[in-house]
Amino acid sequence: MREVAILGVGQSQFGKFPEKKVSELGREAVLAAIKDAGLPAKALQVAYCSRIFDAMVTAQTILKEVGVTKIEMTNVENACAGGSTSVQGLWKDIATGMYDIGIAIGVESMTTSPIAGKLIPPDKDDLEGQLGLTMPALFALLARRQMDEHGATLEDFAQVSVKNHHHGCLNPMAQYKKEFTVEEVLSSRMICEPITLLQCCPNTDGAAAVIMCSMDVARKYTTNPVKVLASVLLSGGYTYERDDITISPLGQQTARKAYDMAGVGPEDLDVIEIHEAFAPEELLRYEDLGLCRPGESVKLLREGATAVGGRVPVNPSGGLLALGHPLSASGVRVVAEITMHLRDQAGARQTPGAKVGLAHMLGGVVAGLEAGACGIQILGR
Amino acid sequence: MPEQIPVREGTFRDGSLLANKCRACGQTFFPKADLCLSCSHDVLDEVVLGRQGVLYSWTIAHMPASRFMPPYAMGYVDLPEGVRVFAPLIMEENRPFRTGMDMGLVIEPLWIEGDREVVGYKFRSLGEGGAS
Repeated sequence: MREVAILGVGQSQFGKFPEKKVSELGREAVLAAIKDAGLPAKALQVAYCSRIFDAMVTAQTILKEVGVTKIEMTNVENACAGGSTSVQGLWKDIATGMYDIGIAIGVESMTTSPIAGKLIPPDKDDLEGQLGLTMPALFALLARRQMDEHGATLEDFAQVSVKNHHHGCLNPMAQYKKEFTVEEVLSSRMICEPITLLQCCPNTDGAAAVIMCSMDVARKYTTNPVKVLASVLLSGGYTYERDDITISPLGQQTARKAYDMAGVGPEDLDVIEIHEAFAPEELLRYEDLGLCRPGESVKLLREGATAVGGRVPVNPSGGLLALGHPLSASGVRVVAEITMHLRDQAGARQTPGAKVGLAHMLGGVVAGLEAGACGIQILGR
Repeated sequence: MPEQIPVREGTFRDGSLLANKCRACGQTFFPKADLCLSCSHDVLDEVVLGRQGVLYSWTIAHMPASRFMPPYAMGYVDLPEGVRVFAPLIMEENRPFRTGMDMGLVIEPLWIEGDREVVGYKFRSLGEGGAS
């Protein structure tokens, strides 16, 4: 395996843009990444694109807009971890020497999708979904145990939302740039007890793109490239294998594998982007990633360690809650965000002197499985 | 009386949920597995699950799902055979849910599909002390 570098990153504005086609959102992100990389679009040798709703050959549809044709293009889907899957595919191709340079894209237009304005519907095969289990309900069931087992309070959950909305105000690309108080979060409309509206990620349109290359190629363009220290994608195990649902074997296993590959530990991380589709979930992820001991995530949050300016900022972008969550784009977008921090280009939300960062995404509710997929990339320079 | 169909074939009979258990490693599965998901052994014996369990977690939804109008309750119930079942919960006045409370199985129609009733399983609180 060879070392892989990140040469260019880009994202579109995130928000609700029903007038924009997927090809427009994608083009915005791809052109930003190409410009950032400083290379001609025709230098790309391979492309991956993730999307859930609701069409075919999205990579080709986007890339034909920027003059890229006749290369290997693969379209992938892995629920909310689709973006991570796109990145993983590209990373493998370059790490194994199959190609020297390529692009990973993630895009979603939720407002023009068949589920616009609705909850993600259950699959016919999904017995629990048929019986009423929705995404917010699943995370509400987890939140109840977080309260019972670990002493998390309603105020703690709200604080995650307050923190990430504050971060969103620091990010020009965010869907929501508005501060909220704990009281405002708690008094917003109840969705699934104890989760209120302002603790739920919004429907978002947007795209992100990452250009990766071999270290030989990277050195032609930059003297200090951001390196991919680890890239891992795993699927979830059976729910019957775990007793305490607040512990995620999938998250722990993916993190362990990524730390081993990167040769770093959680104590080495300077900045982190994770999947927090619902506010209480962010606390669970602190524990999967080993940022604290099991049950101590609430303490980490209350200390302010995970806010911008804290010891290890989590979701400085605003996260899914404030930046927004175009499902298949988020796994690519988190890699782009971490890259910007490592290059000292993250503006008002910058983690000063960040050397190592972690990008995480989680996706897919399948009856009988803990989750569909978990992807983690660790970047460093 | 309208025709009744189960929400999923083979998940319940005569008022009880049905699981199966691997003859080799003893792992129990609900819904039933075609082969043991743990050890791949292909002989599994049917297990009639106990009708009472303990509430592991719960929530009340205040927005609709595909088949349920708000407010509706759902949760995980741990049954004595070591099986955790996700199910709708019956909401009753003066019986707020709390984790650890005793729950009893109810088999009843869940919704109407065309001219047929779709029958499934729910749990309801047995109240303090678990008496039904």
